Parts: sequence; structure tokens; C-alpha cells
Amino acid sequence: MTACSKSDDPAANNITLRFNNTFKDTPIILGGPNDADATVHTSAAGQTHRFSELKYVISNIRLVKADGSEVGYQTDNLDLGATVVNQAKPQTLEYVLQAIPSGEYRQIKFGLGVRSALNILDEAKFPKFYAEAGANDTEMMWEWGIGYRFVKIEGFYDVDHKKLSVHTGSTVEGEKGDHKSYTQGVDAYRDITLALPRTAVVGERAPRITIRADFDKLLSGRANTIDLDGDIATPSVHTALNMMLFVDNLGGDGLNDKAGMFSIESVTD
Amino acid sequence: MVAGAKNLAVVFFVGLVAAACTRQVSPSAPDNPELPLRIPHGFPALNEAVSNNKPTRHGVALGEKLFHEQKLSGNNTVSCASCHNRSKAFADDQVQAIGIYGRVGLRNTPPIQNLAFMRFYNWDGSMLQLEKQPLVPIITHEEMDSSVLEVIAKLREDRAYPALFGKAFGDEEITPERIFRSLAQYQYTLVSANSKYDRVKRSERETFTDSEERGYVVFRAKCETCHASELFTDQRFRNVGFPMNPSSQEAGRARVTGAVEDYMSFRVPSLRNVAYTAPYGSFGQFPTLRAVLDYLDAGVPHADNLDPILRENGNRIPLSEQEKDDLISFLETLSDPEFADRE
Repeated sequence: MTACSKSDDPAANNITLRFNNTFKDTPIILGGPNDADATVHTSAAGQTHRFSELKYVISNIRLVKADGSEVGYQTDNLDLGATVVNQAKPQTLEYVLQAIPSGEYRQIKFGLGVRSALNILDEAKFPKFYAEAGANDTEMMWEWGIGYRFVKIEGFYDVDHKKLSVHTGSTVEGEKGDHKSYTQGVDAYRDITLALPRTAVVGERAPRITIRADFDKLLSGRANTIDLDGDIATPSVHTALNMMLFVDNLGGDGLNDKAGMFSIESVTD
Repeated sequence: MVAGAKNLAVVFFVGLVAAACTRQVSPSAPDNPELPLRIPHGFPALNEAVSNNKPTRHGVALGEKLFHEQKLSGNNTVSCASCHNRSKAFADDQVQAIGIYGRVGLRNTPPIQNLAFMRFYNWDGSMLQLEKQPLVPIITHEEMDSSVLEVIAKLREDRAYPALFGKAFGDEEITPERIFRSLAQYQYTLVSANSKYDRVKRSERETFTDSEERGYVVFRAKCETCHASELFTDQRFRNVGFPMNPSSQEAGRARVTGAVEDYMSFRVPSLRNVAYTAPYGSFGQFPTLRAVLDYLDAGVPHADNLDPILRENGNRIPLSEQEKDDLISFLETLSDPEFADRE
């Protein structure tokens, strides 16, 4: 029996998000200088590079219907609505959104990182996400800034395998752009909006959305072409300094570019 | 109209009563009076956060106990006081702070004094409210390497703490916020303003020696612009060309702001109790005050964002040997032995 009559459809069903981390069309295989399997990529500035570690935080997930109305998925709850995508842990490359109201969805929105209001390492409120982010094999915290790391990349570049290490996170106090509340710091959170190439119909079926995160953009982004030994960047970014170059490449500048490295590969029933 | 105005007045009055009642319950109940902060003559206004967390008798007592509590660390060996040693104006004599398992931190331990009057905390000004700071050492790998829930679980099992939280906050619940607030309350009470300098200023029948007096003249001519006000800091961030910390974690103020012009700029340190807080510099580059003065006299390396005052003076603060002697004599008058419990 097919879904002819609406009354037969369940009120809700799951959507599975799959994160495919790539260099352009090639899925990334992590590895050190001596790993023959590791995916090696060349930047627009001509620098070869590879990653040994690749993690990022996704939160604030919303689905948008044709009429523009949004269905938020646990957007105020990091335990239930945020995840650390870790290339070294295959199970983290899939994230299941549970009990999404039946309907037809045309867009997906999500945050790369954690928006400021929730980015305070509140272990008492969100113990599960705190533990997941703080685990020894995850290390997605900026303790000194009382916030989460949003992206953590470790790797090597050039023929002599120099160390590449990019960490991003927010240091902002108050609301950036609001003169009354803003005092200092940078906001590395980026809100991503992606149109779905095909409507995701939730109901009898539980669709699967494959999101590509193309890390070619790290050094060769819409915002910045980065030479790791150049004047504007350093290959070790562990503070707010130089960080926004990478933030804008990965997550867009939030104004003209709301996609950054992300795109939709496919929507399947 | 008249009736409407009357009703408004009633609502307003009821609101006042309600507010007054809430205030009485906690945190400052009759048996837990507010401890008024004495503002020393010439000090700047209190940080706004203090008005939202006014020290109370039991809040401060709890904060002081927590400040010395090793259970704040993962293996119960490190307390705040391990690095923030009262006899050193709540700093220590390490080059960089040493935490749990002997792990070495990024920076030199800052003294804790007159924090109620500061607008920025930490060498890079990353914190604007003292209540937000205690979580950092609790969770940092090189400091206490614990978590606030781990700490709370230990404090709940302790015989003393639940009652102390009850006295300070009205009930025995132990929450992260209460830990942070009581620690801040205690630190707000750590005011140093009874040095020889203060007593001379207050004309309490004490006078500078000749060397101290000459040093004070040098200080006013060559140091006071940055080490300004009765806090002896203008609380601005400046790159004064000190040798740089090679760690990729360090960018000075730029760590927070992301701005290239803030690279390796640090908050101008207060000079109060400076004779107690060697070594000096953001990661303890200088073993003595003399070494700092020698360095500044010899001239510092160029940097694009080198402080304009240094740049205008040929990247140096010229000082004769006599001036250095006198300056150190003066700086020693900023020591407050009562504050450091050295009397």
C-alpha cells in the first residue's frame, strides 16, 4: 500500500543527515606524513596538504518548508540537537534527526559551531554534549575562552610535511553588531543555509540528506585564498588571530555566502 | 484618570514590597549581612558586575574556603591558592604557572588584588566579569583538569560544604553559579591600599626616603602614563616589546580580539605589591625588577604595533643606574605587608 491517503501517514519520521567530508570530489582519508592512503590535496596557492584529524560541531539545525516556515530541531538543547562530526569516528558522520513533523522540506539550515548564547561550556545544563566535546579523543573545547572549539583540523603541508593546525571558536562578549551589548571578541559561529536539490518528504518515508563539507575551501575559499607561509596567515591557528580567514572560508562570511564549504550532495527517500 | 493613577501607584508599591522581600531571602539575609566594600581614596569605580554579586559575610567565607579547596582539582592536589599565594600578593614565584601533575601553563600567574575595580581580567583581558573566570582553571588541562560537576559531587559529599552553601545562599544546593559567585565575592574583598605609598599619600606621619622620593619623580616622568591611577595601571593593552612567548597558543590581546594590531599586547600590570610578584612578564621573562628596567633602558625590538610612547622615544625608556635604584626603592613602597600577610 502506498501513501495515497494522508491519514495513513505517520505524524512524524526521521531525517538522517550524512556528512561527507571531501577535498572537492574526493572523500577525505585521514593520515600522517607516512600514510600512503591519506588523501593529499593541493590548494589554489599550490600547497599540498593532508589532514590527520578533522572535527567540527553542527548545531541549531532547522528545516524549512516551501512556505518558508521553519521546523527547529532541539535548537536550544546541545545534548539533543548538537553533534561533533569527527572524521575518525564513522558513526559520527551520520546524525539522525528524530521525529521530524511530516511535511515537505525545501531547505536545511544549521550552525557550524555553537551560537553565543549556548557557547558557555555549561556542563550542568548539557552534560552529554559537554562530555562528547571534552573527551580526550575529541578535545573540542577552548577552556580559556569558556567556549567550544567549532572546527579542529590537524595535518601537514608542503613536501616537507610541516605541521598544519587550525582551531576555531568564538571569543565574543555580547552580540556582535549590537552596540549596546557588544564589548569585545570575534564570533566564529556561522549559520549555514542550503537549498535542497530535491524536496525531502517526511512522512511514510524517512529521507536521508547527504551534506558535503568540501575542505578544499579551507585554503581556497570564496572569501580568502590562503598561503600558509604568507603574510596574512600562519599554519598554527589557536587563537582569534588570523582565525577569521579560515572561519569565513569554511562557514561563509554570513552575508553574501551562507554556505561556505557546505553543499547538498543528495536527498534520497 | 485619577483612579488609574492610584492603581498604578498601588502596583508600583506592591512591586517594591515584593522586590524587598525577595532581597531579604537571599543572598543577604539578616544573619548574612552584606560586607560593604571600602573604596580606597582615589580608586576608580567598582566593576559593574560587583553590584550583581555583592559580598556577604557567608558568601565571602565560603569563597575563601573554596579558594583554598584542593577538591577543585581532578586529583585533589591543586587549589586556587596553590598558584595564588597570599604572601606573593596572590601570585607565585614560578615563571609560568604550575598546575596538576606539574603541568606548565601558558602564562605567569597574575596577582589577585583590587579586582573589584578592574574592567578586564587575565593578561589578555579575555574575561570581563570575575564570576566567569573560576571555570577556566577548574577545566583547564594544565591547571586543575576537573569539571564543575565533578567538583560539585565532591563538595556534596563533604561534611562542611552543604551547610556553608546554605548559610551563603539560603539553601544547601550546590550549583556552579554559587561556586563562581562565592569565589568572586571573596576576591572582591582582596583590596590592597595600605602600602607605605598610601600612608605617605594620606600624610600619616610617614615620609619617603630620599631615594624613594627621587624614584617617585622618575616614576611620574617615565612610567605613570601607562601605570596610571591609584591602581597603577591604565588597564589598556600595549605591546612593549618584551621577548615573545613562542607558544602558538599565545597572541596576547589578539588571542581574544583577532586584531593584528593587538598581537602580543598585554594588559598593563598594576604595580601594587610588584616587589612580591617576581618573575615578571606574561610568561616570566624577567627574574627581577632590575632586569625589566635594564631591558627597557637598553631598547626593545621594533614591532609594527609597538606602543606609540615607546616608539616616540626610540623604542626605549632611558634610565640611568641611579634612576633604576631609585625607581626600585619607590616601587617597594607599593608593597602592602598587611595585605600579603607578611607582618
